Amino acid sequence: MNGPEKEYLKELFERFVGTEQADEAVEDILRGEQILRDNPAPEPGKELIDSIKSQVTWSLLRRREHIRRMRYEAVAAVAAAVILLVTIWTGLFERDGGKSKRMYASMVPRAIWDSDDIASDDPHIASLTAEVEQIENELLTLQEGETGGNGERAVSELEMELAVINSDLLL
Amino acid sequence: MAKGDDLARIVNGCKNSDAECFSQIVDIYSSRCYGYFYRLTCNTDISDELLSELFVKLVKKIGSYKGGSFDGWLFKIANNIFHDYLRAKQRRKKMMEVLMTRREDIEEVLESKRSEGEVSDRLQVKLARLDADTRELIMLRFYSQLSLKEIAHMRSEPIGTTLSKLHRGLKRLRELIGC
Repeated sequence: MNGPEKEYLKELFERFVGTEQADEAVEDILRGEQILRDNPAPEPGKELIDSIKSQVTWSLLRRREHIRRMRYEAVAAVAAAVILLVTIWTGLFERDGGKSKRMYASMVPRAIWDSDDIASDDPHIASLTAEVEQIENELLTLQEGETGGNGERAVSELEMELAVINSDLLL
Repeated sequence: MAKGDDLARIVNGCKNSDAECFSQIVDIYSSRCYGYFYRLTCNTDISDELLSELFVKLVKKIGSYKGGSFDGWLFKIANNIFHDYLRAKQRRKKMMEVLMTRREDIEEVLESKRSEGEVSDRLQVKLARLDADTRELIMLRFYSQLSLKEIAHMRSEPIGTTLSKLHRGLKRLRELIGC
């Protein structure tokens, strides 16, 4: 213990005891510490020191590897978040802007959609209506026997009409 | 012993994961820390283990060193490692007590453990007669070379208490040694 430390110790003791007792206490401490210096503890072996140094080097390598892995994970997480955000943002942008690239085809022509009388404005319906009316007339004729017993011809004509209607509908 | 700027440079190197700086720290502190562990455990094998553990822990914890007394910081880790060892020893002792029903068996095992310890030098025998807390305080003061204020702070007790315990302990040691 050097001079200033001894003085500091004495000052500390003087806070609690008188000057004479403080001197004695400091002397006790100095002699006690001298005993410890006179009986040194064993030194660590060279093998132990070498082993500790290699353990330290190994720990450093593991620590570096851990830090590197953490950095990779952080970068991967950020990249995933960016990709997710871009995907969501792109989807929202397309919907909001109404600039969707998808094409929709209308099944009903605009003229028909706007019409007040579909039966006359749509040529297909008009034609179908006429044919249905013709068949009705022919049926009525058959029922009334106006054909004069020539029922087979009438049925053949009716079948032909139905076949035409069928093909129209398929088209 | 590295002092001031040299030590600051070495510690800074350790914070930057420089293996050479860690090697220098081991060279500077291994002797004092080993002495500290040996005087408290009285066993070279255990002191070897604790010293290794201390420097491996140093690598892990160096990032948390925020300046101030490096010696104080390092010996605080050493002190914690010693207390962890004591707790583990206590647990082992309790387990043994549960496992062994006969008191004589326990005595026999403890006696063999005592004989395994290297109670070779005279000082170690006398130190063993001091109470554990005083012995720890004396060793901390001697090997860490910290000021009483730092030691009192580390032990979370008033400086007067630390001073008084240190004085009583060293006086008692003098009496036991007989000088």
